[in-house]
Amino acid sequence: MKVSVVFFLIILFPFSFFAQSKISGIVTDKKGVPIFGANVYLTGTYDGTTSDQNGNFTFETTETGVQTLTVSYVSFETFTMIDDVLKLKNLKVVLRDDVNSLETVTISAGSFSAGDNSKISVLKPMDIVTTASAVGDFVGALQTLPGTTTVAEDGRLFVRGGDAGETQIFIDGIRVFTPYSPTTNNIPTRGRYSPFLFDGITFSTGGYSAEYGQALSSVLLLNTIDEPVQEKTNIAIMSVGGGVGHTEKWDNSSLSLNTSYVNLAPYIAVLPDRNTWEKPFETASGEAVFRQKIGDGLLKVYGAFDSSNFELTQEDINLAEGLYFKLNNKNFYTNASYSEKLNKGWSIFGGGSYTYANTKVNIDKAHIKDVENSAHLKLKLNKRFSNYFKLNFGVEQFLTDFDEKYNASDFSANIRFKNNLSAFFTEADIIFSRKLALKLGARGEYSELFKEVTVSPRVSFAFKTGKNSQLSLAYGDFFQQPDNEILKFTTDVEAQHTQHYILNYQYAANNRIFRAELFRKQYNKLVTYNETIPDVNSLFNNTGNGYAQGLDVFWRDNESIKNVDYWVSYSYLDTERKYKDYPIKATPNFANTHNLSVVAKYWIDDWKSQIGFSYQYGSGRTYTDLNSPGFLQKKTRDYNSVSLNWAYLLSQQKILYFSINNAFAFKNVNGYQYANTPDANGNFARRKLLPAADQFFFVGFFWTISEDGKNNQLDNL
Amino acid sequence: MQNVLTYLSIVLTAFFMQVEAQTTSTEVSKPTKYQQGMQKAFKLWQEDKSWEAANLFERIATAETDKWLPPYYVAQINIINSFTEKDAAKLKAQLDKAQNFINDATAISKGNPELLVLQAQLYTAWIVFDGQQYGMTYSPKAAALYNQALAIAPENPRIILAKAEWDIGSAKYFNQTIDTYCKDLQRAIELFANFKPEGEFYPTYGEKRAKQIVAESCK
Repeated sequence: MKVSVVFFLIILFPFSFFAQSKISGIVTDKKGVPIFGANVYLTGTYDGTTSDQNGNFTFETTETGVQTLTVSYVSFETFTMIDDVLKLKNLKVVLRDDVNSLETVTISAGSFSAGDNSKISVLKPMDIVTTASAVGDFVGALQTLPGTTTVAEDGRLFVRGGDAGETQIFIDGIRVFTPYSPTTNNIPTRGRYSPFLFDGITFSTGGYSAEYGQALSSVLLLNTIDEPVQEKTNIAIMSVGGGVGHTEKWDNSSLSLNTSYVNLAPYIAVLPDRNTWEKPFETASGEAVFRQKIGDGLLKVYGAFDSSNFELTQEDINLAEGLYFKLNNKNFYTNASYSEKLNKGWSIFGGGSYTYANTKVNIDKAHIKDVENSAHLKLKLNKRFSNYFKLNFGVEQFLTDFDEKYNASDFSANIRFKNNLSAFFTEADIIFSRKLALKLGARGEYSELFKEVTVSPRVSFAFKTGKNSQLSLAYGDFFQQPDNEILKFTTDVEAQHTQHYILNYQYAANNRIFRAELFRKQYNKLVTYNETIPDVNSLFNNTGNGYAQGLDVFWRDNESIKNVDYWVSYSYLDTERKYKDYPIKATPNFANTHNLSVVAKYWIDDWKSQIGFSYQYGSGRTYTDLNSPGFLQKKTRDYNSVSLNWAYLLSQQKILYFSINNAFAFKNVNGYQYANTPDANGNFARRKLLPAADQFFFVGFFWTISEDGKNNQLDNL
Repeated sequence: MQNVLTYLSIVLTAFFMQVEAQTTSTEVSKPTKYQQGMQKAFKLWQEDKSWEAANLFERIATAETDKWLPPYYVAQINIINSFTEKDAAKLKAQLDKAQNFINDATAISKGNPELLVLQAQLYTAWIVFDGQQYGMTYSPKAAALYNQALAIAPENPRIILAKAEWDIGSAKYFNQTIDTYCKDLQRAIELFANFKPEGEFYPTYGEKRAKQIVAESCK
């Protein structure tokens, strides 16, 4: 075909074969502004030129016939046209903005990303661990972001009036069933996983993608490192234990191992707290990530095992001798995923996870043993039709087998249930221009246990309002099954439901980010029951409901003050709900009205030190005062805490680290416990629920051994 | 920590090369179209028309899909020019473009130490642009690339120089001795004296810079 066209042209224009043709025209952007410096050429030849200051170009070529003219310029889409060289005269070439470039609008409603190179990230990977109040816990660092509530005695994430169970955690897109170490009253837990193995964290406080389900309020997405940079060994010696990590690299694969041992016994011996510890908290954990490149694909296998135990007697107003509690937990989590870019814009992702959790608890004289086996399987396909349209779809299967054995002197029981859930999701990303983008998705789920189908539409939309600012809107329906604590007593319930409405404004320029987000969350079909502590004989219903609404504000500035990086988060929250055994609609005790965090980091060059500061404020949380009428009608005093840390670089690879939580020893009260029965005057006695200790001190020494002698663990602190 | 890196990388910027003439053609016979094109591009570059040179290298790159040098030079010009670019959006676009051309060149010539060094220099450009954001991620990557390049070509003076300069930057910051790196530089200078590029239009820069650092830092 091509040959015959060329032949035809040669016959028609025999002389042009030897003559030089002149190609000319002008290059502008959409608004008609000339583009200077664009590369204009015939593809596959050396003939071409660079457009001048007025956007004009002229060049000669000895090529003939049909050719491809290409015009390219940085941050614009490359333009091509196919025509006879003789017709390539006085052309008007208009270049379109490249929507892949950084100035393109991104959907930001509801989500904070950390460490993504190409997008605006609110937190950088190292922030997860250099935040003074976090003491190396990534969940602790996220608690300095707006949308979270300070629930100091718990340690888990409470998002926008939701309880901790409403946030789901995913590693490489695969669900983590038991993300936190179990603990007891008034002893905060920590995230199980070390921040050391992750390089991307996205924290979404609402309106998230249809890919993620079974979360009413929030998702936290953690991605393991694809390819470690170099081989190295990390050694940590800490006042509460120690850790060793090692990374080994081969041609197409690598392995990272991380182990740690924490024992609070020596610390508590020196600085006793308010509990009587028979056996202070002790945990041993190990994690490993193995990565193997297979052709264009990448296989990742992640495994984590931890074992923790403690034994204590806590003060209790109803028990003169205190409440005895002993815990033994073994948890194993593994996750494998494979991703590959296929031809023609397709890519595939497949993965699965398996969790085994074995918890033995002794409370007073009762003995409870829970065994949970859970798995999640996922297959996802992605098709990129063009820079303007992408489609994502997949299927998922969740499997849970829960078994509990309860033994007390007067009663024993064995409860077991299986909970299987299938899901399908699809989502389209449509970019209309650099200024306008839309994400449309839907998720369908089928629960085998409830014989119930749910459908959740999700929509988000972003519009650029200026060079550095944008508005995003999001709406979504979210379903989540009641947790194991309910399902072990009844399966005659339905999924709980929320709807999110989000309006987000974001301004980002010159290392400063401002975000403000208005939200409304409607709760429906929350599980209710008729007894304070439910059991198999309780009546369960899905008649609960509630709402949460408010404003989240975030400001980060890395520019104004030299060597200082700081951020401020403020959240206003108004929420009420009727669920569990609530007699009326009320603000739950894990929600409060005002939350403020200020985090600052100051680099002192002469001292080779980074000083960190973090202030957390939370207005009072509700509690029920039994001596006056009402339910959750009173509020505790406000929460305040200032934490400080200091990282000192002894040399390139040795770091000394100190931190102190609640440096000014504010006396915080988490709530009150009331006596079960009134005294002679008809008064219910009460005691304050105080933190186990007002302050926490930490000293650590971190040493990295690597080939190049440069790497250190500052980013792991 | 980011300040360490900023310091490092500012030192490194100076390293970006004095373009050295690439005019001698080894062949006596009539130059090919490729040779003519490359020579013309180098001439534009020497005339300070670096963007025009980059455009010509880009044209050659699209025409000669089996040669790694044209995309190498497109990437290099984009990287060098990014150090003086003030507009953040444009700078990022240039570095992204450079990365694409490094990827193209790497696909043609795998495990090429010159490309590894260029990749390390691209990371350096990101670090210079925003040390706080990119320093932590990119500085170990750059360091690893220098090691990798040196393992492949232990006798290439340009790689010895690039790695030594990177090392001197951080050693100075921590008040550590730089004697070993000065020895490396001396060795690089000796190797430069007899350095024969592997082929026509291969990179040859670095000798002047090595002498300059020795004069400034190694006493």
